[in-house]
Amino acid sequence: MIRVREWVLRLWGALRRESRDQELQEELRLHMDLAVEHARWDGRSLDSATRTAAIQAGGFVQAVEAIRDQRGLPWLDDAVTDVRYAVRLLRRNPGFTAVAVLALGLGIGVNTAVFTAYKAMVARPLDARNPDEMVNLALSRPLGARQFTFSYPDYEAYRDSSHSFSGLIAVMADRLVVSDPGGRVPHGTRVETAFTFIVSENYFKVLGVNAIRGRTFDSIAIPELVASPSVLIGENYWQRRFSGDPSVLGKTVRLNGAAVTVIGITPRNFVGTGMAAPDFWLPVSLAPLVHADDTWLRDREHQRVRLFGRRAPGVSAEQAQAEMTILADRVRTLHDPRSQSATPATAIVWRGSPTPLPLTAYRGIMPAIVFVMSSAVMVLIVACANVASLQLARARSRLNELQTRASLGATRLRVIRQLLTESALLGLLAGVAALSFTWALLRVAVTLVADALPPGNGTFVADVTPDLAIFAYVFAVSLVAGILFGLAPAVESSRTALGAATRAGTASARSRRIQDVLIAAQVGLSLVFLIVGSLLIRGAVNAIKTDPGYDNKHLVMLEVRLPEASRYTADRKDALVRELRTRLTTLPGVVAITNALAPATARYRTAAVSLDGDASTSSILHFSYVEANYFQTLGIPFVFGRAFASEGGQAEQAVILSESAARELWPGQNPIGRRVRLGVTDQRLTSVDELLQKPAELLANGPAYQVIGVVRDIRGVEFDGSGTKQVYLPMRTGRFEGYPILVRTQSDPAPVIKATDPLLASIDPDVLGNASWLGETFRQSGPFLVSTLSAAVASTVGLFGLLLASMGIYGTVSYVVLHRTREIGIRMALGAKARDVLGLVLGESTRPVVAGLLVGLLLAVGASYLLRGLLYGVRTVDGVSFVGVSLLLLGVALLAAYAPARRAASVDPNVALRHE
Amino acid sequence: MVLQTLATLGPSHGYAIATRLEQLSRGSLQLNMGTLYPGLTRLEQRGLIQAKWGVTDNNRRARFYAISRAGRRQLAAEKSDWTRMVAIIDSVLMRDTS
Repeated sequence: MIRVREWVLRLWGALRRESRDQELQEELRLHMDLAVEHARWDGRSLDSATRTAAIQAGGFVQAVEAIRDQRGLPWLDDAVTDVRYAVRLLRRNPGFTAVAVLALGLGIGVNTAVFTAYKAMVARPLDARNPDEMVNLALSRPLGARQFTFSYPDYEAYRDSSHSFSGLIAVMADRLVVSDPGGRVPHGTRVETAFTFIVSENYFKVLGVNAIRGRTFDSIAIPELVASPSVLIGENYWQRRFSGDPSVLGKTVRLNGAAVTVIGITPRNFVGTGMAAPDFWLPVSLAPLVHADDTWLRDREHQRVRLFGRRAPGVSAEQAQAEMTILADRVRTLHDPRSQSATPATAIVWRGSPTPLPLTAYRGIMPAIVFVMSSAVMVLIVACANVASLQLARARSRLNELQTRASLGATRLRVIRQLLTESALLGLLAGVAALSFTWALLRVAVTLVADALPPGNGTFVADVTPDLAIFAYVFAVSLVAGILFGLAPAVESSRTALGAATRAGTASARSRRIQDVLIAAQVGLSLVFLIVGSLLIRGAVNAIKTDPGYDNKHLVMLEVRLPEASRYTADRKDALVRELRTRLTTLPGVVAITNALAPATARYRTAAVSLDGDASTSSILHFSYVEANYFQTLGIPFVFGRAFASEGGQAEQAVILSESAARELWPGQNPIGRRVRLGVTDQRLTSVDELLQKPAELLANGPAYQVIGVVRDIRGVEFDGSGTKQVYLPMRTGRFEGYPILVRTQSDPAPVIKATDPLLASIDPDVLGNASWLGETFRQSGPFLVSTLSAAVASTVGLFGLLLASMGIYGTVSYVVLHRTREIGIRMALGAKARDVLGLVLGESTRPVVAGLLVGLLLAVGASYLLRGLLYGVRTVDGVSFVGVSLLLLGVALLAAYAPARRAASVDPNVALRHE
Repeated sequence: MVLQTLATLGPSHGYAIATRLEQLSRGSLQLNMGTLYPGLTRLEQRGLIQAKWGVTDNNRRARFYAISRAGRRQLAAEKSDWTRMVAIIDSVLMRDTS
């Protein structure tokens, strides 16, 4: 208690010192006077009395200091002094301050932003209570094929027989047509669609999420749900569409024509197992209402739902995986023995996440993610190195100051504390800069992502408030780095003998060496990123320039959505598509029409292709179903053989290969007339649109196909270029649904694109369509975006590094020159020419640069090897990039060193010798 | 010791305390200002003494320090501690010499 009181009062005392100093002086003066008086009573002279009194009472000034220390908090006073001093110092060197704060701020900011974004988008958990208990389920089949969608009967089987989960849920995304909802009708759309999650009835119970108004499906029995169809509405959609009108509860809306009642509103930004907040949540038992074709609910071969589970208490993911594998083995016996689902499978159970497969499965994207994250780390390292070398350089120029302080009685601790204060202040400024930078960066990123997504996929939700844990971590790391180097002068000044220091003209060799290493590191890392950046840019340019293998400039893709109401039978839909095709042909400028997936948007579908009669070896190749006129429509020339037999009747048992696929299967031989078998398939999502389910194209372990033709390669969408190896299968005639219509135009496709909407409306107002130009679609394809993004990141990082490195070189060389002024003066007095001095300084300052360049070149080779999948048509070790960028960096480094070197060379020996 | 002085003398200023202590110790304790005043400040901050500006016998303004109630308690506690300490040391030292 007593202690606390003392500290409080001391703090008080520290804050209001001036007012009490006067009293103190008065009190002490009285003491002295009394002592003098006392001494005079003993009969001494005034002089002698004063002296005795002074001896007895002790020094006046010392007493004042001692009392001040007791009365206030000396270290607080010191800290205030230190901070004031540091502020003055930082303001006196605005260049140093700006560079250091900017460098650290950017370094910390970029890192926090990138890692926050990684957490919010890539490694994001499910939106559930206790998300750590949630897991994703997928199956791994032989040959590495992975399956993440399950048929509904399979879901029921897993749900009812597993014990590892306290709940297993199924979900699929859908887009439903909304009618008669009242409220605000969105502008400019003819038919309104709503992004809907069709979920198992236990969805909200298992996720542990409640409605903010009304209720979820938990409390309602399924028969009751079917009797009075109910949906939940997302808060975002509710606000947007109904302006947050609470009377929406109990209201009836029509989804795909079926009347359903809104019984609850899910929380704002609640995304459940997805990444975007859907407009509606529909229980799976009501799916037959909105889709005439509800066979998938009973068809075991029709895989449409994704599964997520909540682990039962005490069950690990491994245990759940083991149980699921056993169950999967049982479930596969229920499948058609010819189907892929009948092949042996291993379950994969991993931490719940909206991504359909574990991150390790995304081989194409992972290098890019790793690349972006490591670039961020590099920015931080370069920034730290930069600040460190600046600090070191500055420290040396402050050696004198510090030693003067030491000789005036400052303890080493006191000096260190002062330097720490300076570094901390710098760090604080950098932290503020970093936090605002992070915030802005993430805002921009999320807006970009949300804009990049096609509309109608719900509200994209990502939590991008800068992650404070990450920020604290990055901040601490950079602060420690900065502070450590900030302390260097203190250490150095205590090492150097006091007297010698004031005379010492040159800096110690050791700190010079550290500085060289720091410069080399900066240069090396910047080089890596500049090289990779230029490779990626060249790759992206190549990607735009290179011939995709077909004529995408005159192709229009028309995606059609047919109404789902029950009156639209499969036959009627087929008739609609046919009519649409006929009508499209009549449009001016239309040359040819085919139904197929466009190469640039193709789904990732691969099959194990084996040679007939030799099942032992097989290659994984991409495949797609095409019509006979596909090659003609897209302008893909034949190398050998012929197209599929035109139209009509049963499709022939034949395939057409792309050149590289043929090379892969029969190197150096003519493939025509040979036979292949297609086996197990793998599917992966490559575009956002596929988050919306489309029936999977399943290949049975089927009959043999004869090769009838070989066509030229076209570029696929795969990161590693494997997309060129294509197997084309004939499309089963009369089954166009689910395939977009590709239209080839004579010239400019724009009028055709414009004409499609009225055309659709005239055929059937309920048919929705979206026409786009393939040349553009191509640029939105995954690899293209990823490589463009990586190019942007790498060159930004590289340029930033270059800037920092040149500032670092400039700063360091300047300080070195300043310090060696005397030495240079002596050299010149002894006959050295200005040119010699210039050479000396330049030579010494380029040494670390060259070392850094060499190391950087090696690293760049490695980096570009890792990123080879993103480099379209660029050799991994590309002379232009490597040599060019190195020379550029060397040039910049020389330039940075030149200015201070010139200054050194123009030194007047007379002045230099008198320097200091 | 300062507390004891104040307890016996009543409110007194710094110099009085110093002289009193010097007299009592017969000159062996000479408190200089750098020791005395920080001590007084600390005692004041801990609430063991109270300080007030007053006027001395010969009409000079001075700061008078007086022992507070908490100070008296502290003094008593410290005195008994000291006696105990002395008794312990005494008994140990006596035994060793005997």
